[in-house]
Amino acid sequence: MEAVTITLNGVEVSGYAGTTILDLARESGVYIPTLCHDPNLASTGACRLCLVEDERNGALLASCVAAISPGMTINTNSPRVVEHRKRILELILASHPDSCLVCDKGNRCQLRKLAAEMGVGLIQLQKIPQNDVIEEVNPFIERDLSKCVMCGKCIRVDQELVVEGAIDYIHRGTMVRAATLNDMPLEKSECTFCGACVAICPTGAIMEKERVYTGTATNTVTTICPYCGCGCTICLGTKDNQIVEARPAVDSPVSRGALCVRGSYGYDFIHSPERLTQPLIKVDGEFQEATWEEALSRVAEGLGQIKKDHGADALAVFGSSKCTNEENYVLQRFARGVLGTNNIDNGSRLYSAASRTGLGASIGYAGTTGSLDALERSRVIMVIGANPEISAPAVAYAIKRAVRFKEAKLIVIDPRNTPLTQFASLWLRPGIGTDVALLNGLARVIIDEKRLDVEFVTRMTDNFTGWTKSLQNYTAGYVEDVTGIAKKDVQAAARLLAGAEEASIVYGNGITQHTSGTDAVVAIANLAMLTGNAGRRGGIFALQRENNAHGACDMGALPGFLPGYQSVDEAENRQRFEEHWGGSLPTAAGLSALEMMKAAGLGKVKGMLIMGENPVASFPQPALIRKALSSLDFLVVTDMFPTETVKLASVVLSAASFAEKEGTFTNFEGRVQRLHQAIEPVGESLPDLEILLRLAEVTGSKMPYDSHQDVMEEIEDMVPFYRHVAYADTDSMGLDWGDVEGSSPGTRRLHKGLFPSGFGRFSPVEYTSPQDVATDGYPLTLMAGSGRYHFGAGSRSSRSARLSKFSPAALLEISGADAAELGIGDGDAIKITSAQGELSTTTKVSNSLPRGLLFMPISYPDSPVYELFGTVLDPQAKGPALKTCAVRLERTDGNG
Amino acid sequence: MIPLAKDNLTKADVQDKLKGIFSHYKGNQEELIPILQETQENFRYLPAAAMREIADFLHMPESTIFGVSTFYAQFKLTPLGKKIIRVCRGTACHVRGAAKVLAEMEKQLGIKAGQTTDDMEYTLETVACIGACALAPTMTIDGETYGKMTTKKVAEVLGDSSKA
Repeated sequence: MEAVTITLNGVEVSGYAGTTILDLARESGVYIPTLCHDPNLASTGACRLCLVEDERNGALLASCVAAISPGMTINTNSPRVVEHRKRILELILASHPDSCLVCDKGNRCQLRKLAAEMGVGLIQLQKIPQNDVIEEVNPFIERDLSKCVMCGKCIRVDQELVVEGAIDYIHRGTMVRAATLNDMPLEKSECTFCGACVAICPTGAIMEKERVYTGTATNTVTTICPYCGCGCTICLGTKDNQIVEARPAVDSPVSRGALCVRGSYGYDFIHSPERLTQPLIKVDGEFQEATWEEALSRVAEGLGQIKKDHGADALAVFGSSKCTNEENYVLQRFARGVLGTNNIDNGSRLYSAASRTGLGASIGYAGTTGSLDALERSRVIMVIGANPEISAPAVAYAIKRAVRFKEAKLIVIDPRNTPLTQFASLWLRPGIGTDVALLNGLARVIIDEKRLDVEFVTRMTDNFTGWTKSLQNYTAGYVEDVTGIAKKDVQAAARLLAGAEEASIVYGNGITQHTSGTDAVVAIANLAMLTGNAGRRGGIFALQRENNAHGACDMGALPGFLPGYQSVDEAENRQRFEEHWGGSLPTAAGLSALEMMKAAGLGKVKGMLIMGENPVASFPQPALIRKALSSLDFLVVTDMFPTETVKLASVVLSAASFAEKEGTFTNFEGRVQRLHQAIEPVGESLPDLEILLRLAEVTGSKMPYDSHQDVMEEIEDMVPFYRHVAYADTDSMGLDWGDVEGSSPGTRRLHKGLFPSGFGRFSPVEYTSPQDVATDGYPLTLMAGSGRYHFGAGSRSSRSARLSKFSPAALLEISGADAAELGIGDGDAIKITSAQGELSTTTKVSNSLPRGLLFMPISYPDSPVYELFGTVLDPQAKGPALKTCAVRLERTDGNG
Repeated sequence: MIPLAKDNLTKADVQDKLKGIFSHYKGNQEELIPILQETQENFRYLPAAAMREIADFLHMPESTIFGVSTFYAQFKLTPLGKKIIRVCRGTACHVRGAAKVLAEMEKQLGIKAGQTTDDMEYTLETVACIGACALAPTMTIDGETYGKMTTKKVAEVLGDSSKA
């Protein structure tokens, strides 16, 4: 691009043609005040405070929108500029209330800051009364439009970054303001309470509501959100050892200035009165408070006794996809090296095991192949079995931006009408559990019409011919019969996907939580390789439910793998770790999560250590799990809250929250990001890492780590693809993969189309009719999934005062057609019965569901939807089928 | 909050009519205003249910459609009366007593400027100038001009129009 040279305050500076004066000035370290400008949004030049003067002709230019041109002689601070700026500021202040003393925005108010900078005090102009406070009952956001300066940032962040479109300008002239559709309160609009407008508002016009602790943040710490797998960077504002606010980090490559309602307002669980503040030991069925010394020696004794009496494999350890990499690494070392068992697994078994198994077999790497940036650059995006708007909001934002602003085409494959369908060029609604048939059908169309990426397939993959043969049956006609999707739509989707220069496939739990999950993942990988979209460009995006699902598995909190997916079966792998740790490691693969529970029920496993997980709420058949855990001789749980699982423990170790510790999380992209401690641990709680290290010491096997940094350094040594993480340098923004990819050829990234093992492998997968759908006696299919306001098993989100207040109960969503047929209305009390159990709740009629399909959110401990699910496992990945099951409904309110 | 029109339109009615309108558009965002105009011609106002349909058709947020509808005076979010009365308040009319004419009109119809009578007969609006200053003060009913208005003539004019 062409360079343009201008004179800026007497100094010659150059920038690319098209750069704005403001951007060039900022690059050159010259300050220009702004109010309506934001680096993540398109500039509109609304506030005019960024005026600068071109001294050649005296023109006053709004520097945020004026591009540099050759020969410009810019003065950013000429007397004329200063005079105009002051006058503009005075005009803005003339319609702004003098309520700074009581305004909670305090010193973070940009208007106040600018007034102070420019020395603008009392305004001599006649005050114009402005719009007032808007009555709203939601617990998250309040709007006082008397303080609005019409910078339009809230509208732009809503429409450009989050792409929700809940607000826009209404009316004109002096009446103009930001409003929702029909000027309704936010809770009656399409607002998702992501909080982006609150974070970006320069004044106190849009503020956070019902905060746990009042006061202005005195310190801000940048760390990583602990909820979903996106791994957004959040800035926690702290005061008096309390978290008082959470804001998006504007320069985060993941969140880019927008979080979701959980990230922005769900942090208040940290200060929930239910927090466990000290270790507990159960004595005669009652918990008694204990010191750390007492509790840990009790644990060492309990686990030691079982090992002595019944052998190491009578013990099992359950790691957490919510804890840090360092904690999971040390936990698996504790399991293998200290306890001597491979019976270790982590919470992601419940939702992403199929993904790991399927991708591992196909592309040789068990995760997402590209970054969010690559996703947003894609020309075609196919979303199958995922509702990222709910489960991975940052991914949804990226997809919506790609469609709305970069002309990408979106294919949504989902039986439900998710928020993404209105952005889709094609929306296919397959029958539940028929994904494999559809994916194979798409592949067959692409092959038949010779739309495959021949070069990629020939050079980079293996077993193409064998796989092609397996597609013989998947004609468009057959696929239409099985999935219910018209032939022409299958063909259109195939053509769109294959025709794109760069295409990405995003999938989530709608794929992985079926019994055929692994097969469907393989089918997705096949499709991506067939179209040349596996890593070189576009990619496969495997969404992860929890913040560190990726990391927990990378760290070897898995029964069959040492850290870095190095199989425990192979002596060579074990030897590396044995040399490092000393002693010998157990050789046979251990039990996976559900197998542990079964073994506990059968009395084969007698002692268990659970770190930060709540299996009673997150596993199918809570009653059985409860029974299994109760039958253990010894159960130790580390957690922040008295969860359903904690109540069954022999010893409870009070753990610190994400805000109280250091370490790293690995997000769904594989981005390793660093946590920073914001506050001291609440009460006497301790970070899990500290707990594990102390425990190891008490058991007489002290580990040679003094800090999380020591652990990460060992991880870098022992896990090939973490070698470049360079913990010491990993700042809050995580790693810049671009640099790493360029400099170290051995990384896990499938950059330049290279697979870790050299070749991607096509594997045939066959469609089998689903077992987890409506059947005789149970005429409806119930789907379980995440809701917007809660998360995971609900241990944390149910203890967030605001999230619980706004969304207190799990409602059963039913289609209008089914509701009419069954005589069920909105808000009717009903009983859901499956072959496994029953559950009572109330209904909500929803037009997003097809006939025959019900939806119920997980994450509400009071309505444990998993009561209804069986413990059927995906035979390959050993994850339970937790997406759908067959049910029937009855009204229980007596009117039916 | 902006009060929503009470109408008897079903979603299907709105969808049917809009389908016809959309058939001669491509779905580009710059078609918004012509679409709104045509929608208003069909329904005599912009029904709330139409906003969603137009938003989906143009791939724009519903709030933006609403924002544009509130920006232009020509768009109405409530149904208009069968007859539209516009009382001129231009300079010439103003000095010759337009305010009194308007007040009388408001009194007789029982509504304020900008409102519609309960029986949906009349909508009363004001206008800045209709270009007939020689006849000031003036007013129009459905495009028909009435000049040299007086408060006394208001009843007469209304009587006239109701016969028409």
